[in-house]
Amino acid sequence: MTHITLTLCTNGQVITRIHLQKEYNELRTSVLALKFKDGIMMAADTLASYGSLARFKSIQRLQPVGSSTVIGASGDMSDFQYIQTLLDELTVEEFTAGDHHELGPAEIHEYLSRVMYARRSKMNPLWNSILVGGVKDGKSFLAYVDLLGTTYSASTLATGYGAYIALPLLRKAVEGREHELTEEEARKIMEESMKVLFYRDARSLNKFQIATVKESGVTISDPIILETAWGFAEGIRGYGAQTQ
Amino acid sequence: MSIMQYNGGSVIAMVGKDCVAIASDLRLGVQSLSISSNFEKIFPVTDRLYIGLPGLASDVTTLREQFRYRVNMYTIKEEREIEPQAFAQLVSSTLYEKRFGPYFIEPVIAGMQKTPSGSYAPFIAATDLIGCLNFAKDFVVAGTASEKLFGVAEGLWEPDLEAEDLFETISQTLLNAVDRDAFSGWGAIVHVITKDKIVILSSSAFISPGLGLAS
Amino acid sequence: MPDGSFASHPQERQFNPYSENGGTILAIAGADFSVIAGDTRQSEGYSIQTRYAPKVFRLTDRAVLAVNGFAADGNMFVKKVKQRLEWYRHAHAKDMPLKAIARLIQTMLYAQRFFPYYVYNILGGIEEDGSGAVYSFDPVGSYEREACRAAGAAQSLVQPFLDNQIYFKNQLAAPNQPHPVHLPLSDVLSIVIDSFTGATERHIEVGDGLEIYVVLAHGRSVQGLEGVPGVQELTTSGEGDRVFVIRRELKKD
Repeated sequence: MTHITLTLCTNGQVITRIHLQKEYNELRTSVLALKFKDGIMMAADTLASYGSLARFKSIQRLQPVGSSTVIGASGDMSDFQYIQTLLDELTVEEFTAGDHHELGPAEIHEYLSRVMYARRSKMNPLWNSILVGGVKDGKSFLAYVDLLGTTYSASTLATGYGAYIALPLLRKAVEGREHELTEEEARKIMEESMKVLFYRDARSLNKFQIATVKESGVTISDPIILETAWGFAEGIRGYGAQTQ
Repeated sequence: MSIMQYNGGSVIAMVGKDCVAIASDLRLGVQSLSISSNFEKIFPVTDRLYIGLPGLASDVTTLREQFRYRVNMYTIKEEREIEPQAFAQLVSSTLYEKRFGPYFIEPVIAGMQKTPSGSYAPFIAATDLIGCLNFAKDFVVAGTASEKLFGVAEGLWEPDLEAEDLFETISQTLLNAVDRDAFSGWGAIVHVITKDKIVILSSSAFISPGLGLAS
Repeated sequence: MPDGSFASHPQERQFNPYSENGGTILAIAGADFSVIAGDTRQSEGYSIQTRYAPKVFRLTDRAVLAVNGFAADGNMFVKKVKQRLEWYRHAHAKDMPLKAIARLIQTMLYAQRFFPYYVYNILGGIEEDGSGAVYSFDPVGSYEREACRAAGAAQSLVQPFLDNQIYFKNQLAAPNQPHPVHLPLSDVLSIVIDSFTGATERHIEVGDGLEIYVVLAHGRSVQGLEGVPGVQELTTSGEGDRVFVIRRELKKD
């Protein structure tokens, strides 16, 4: 949500000010990511909200870039789409060089962090938090970049509410076990974390996708719909249908 | 600026082996203007119990009198001296009475507490301005130099210091902390309390190593 | 409100291009060495973003830079300093001297006077005369050569401790035994570790890991470093000053 003020002046005199209140389609919900034995795994639901309205319920927020990288975005939807076009152009430009080199996750992250930092320095940020993950030359990579150009890297990452709700769960399950976790175990941790997020984050959906990057390449799953149980709410005042 | 910084001043208390120490600076200021270099903030409650009152200077006077009155009433009713533990509770409830219009003071308490066996054990405590008690086992700090006091004390303090060493430790901690604080300093005073002796050293008198408690 | 009276209550959400990412750095100069250290926690508000984000960087074999404040600015600043040092190397076929790096940093910081890098810099290393040196900067380039300096979230906890332990402030020397001007390396390392364990104990933004860089003057023995667990040499060329790093764990709560 952004507020814009238009000021109408004649001879330096303010005639009127018009306040526009523009609500953008926001990818407010979290992206989660972790490292496992063979690579990295990332998850994000498919919701784009418009304020408190669940506006688009089938938006893909995980995007492969080249053959060894995946990015996951939260924040402003149009800014993310702009970033996607930038990355597409970049990929094509690199391909046409014809040198058989491809940008890996580290390069994509470096590029994104430069774009984000440059835009914040122009006081016109791209309003996103982005996770970049991938595997190249046997090395797995996982890092974060946001609208301020802040970057960091860790074996577990989360944006948005995920940083408060899911990250502690991910850290407990992953930290120190990055080199022994199997893909199946990683998927289980992801599904559990996404379920907890869905239960507690009001701007989230129980429909999400999981991206996996291994040496063999990127796979992004079809949307997964989680089974949730709300039976417990029946007896809780304020949750269920009690009248008083 | 916060009212807590208006007059400036800092207090620290530390536990040693069969002894405690409490020390403060002597500055009184009005914002950045220094007014006095002999404004004491530490007061005796009983022979083995002291309280330090850093914060708003007018509230220092008010609370000192308030505590004197309440301790006297306690002594008359109970027909015995108040113990540090009980006094800490008295301080806490006195401050909490004014929960929504507090005194701007963060008291520090130090004393020797009588144990069931008849001996004395070191006791320190501190509260915030609305009376939330903190019973620490090592040291407590308050006032405008509190962050600095924490930093130096964390580096210098160790368990079971004898009275002479505790004196040196608390003095060095206070002096080096207030030297980096614009609102504290201008002299210092240290009280070392053992079960049968209280030694008070003030201002430049003790700023020489090895002077110890003998003098 | 048709009369436009709402104009007096502008409710705009202004973009804030800055953030604070916690952590603390410090540096101490010896007679013929320099020690530069920083914790590795990066945080925003009450959230720990990562437990390992370096704040201390080797610039050359004789210069190490520690940056603290807004991490995005810090990383960009280090990147640009390294770039300038590389250009210097290409132009002059040697590494830039420490005092010249210090002046370069002041110029680069002041160039951004009206949109500053929100970063406190501490530069440590060896001067051309072989003495250990520390330079500290404010975000817009004011700088000074000192014997020791702490900066960052726990500056107010660490600096008075350093005054006491490095400058012997408030300690009178015994007769005919003046305080030493420079401490031996082993003592400096102990003081650095004590400073960070103390800051970790009492400051929530400090912890996780500690990186201590040690720069030794050309020809100095490694006395004070031997027996230290996990020392790693980072020197790139054979003859000249040498750079080492020591990595340590700090409490993670």
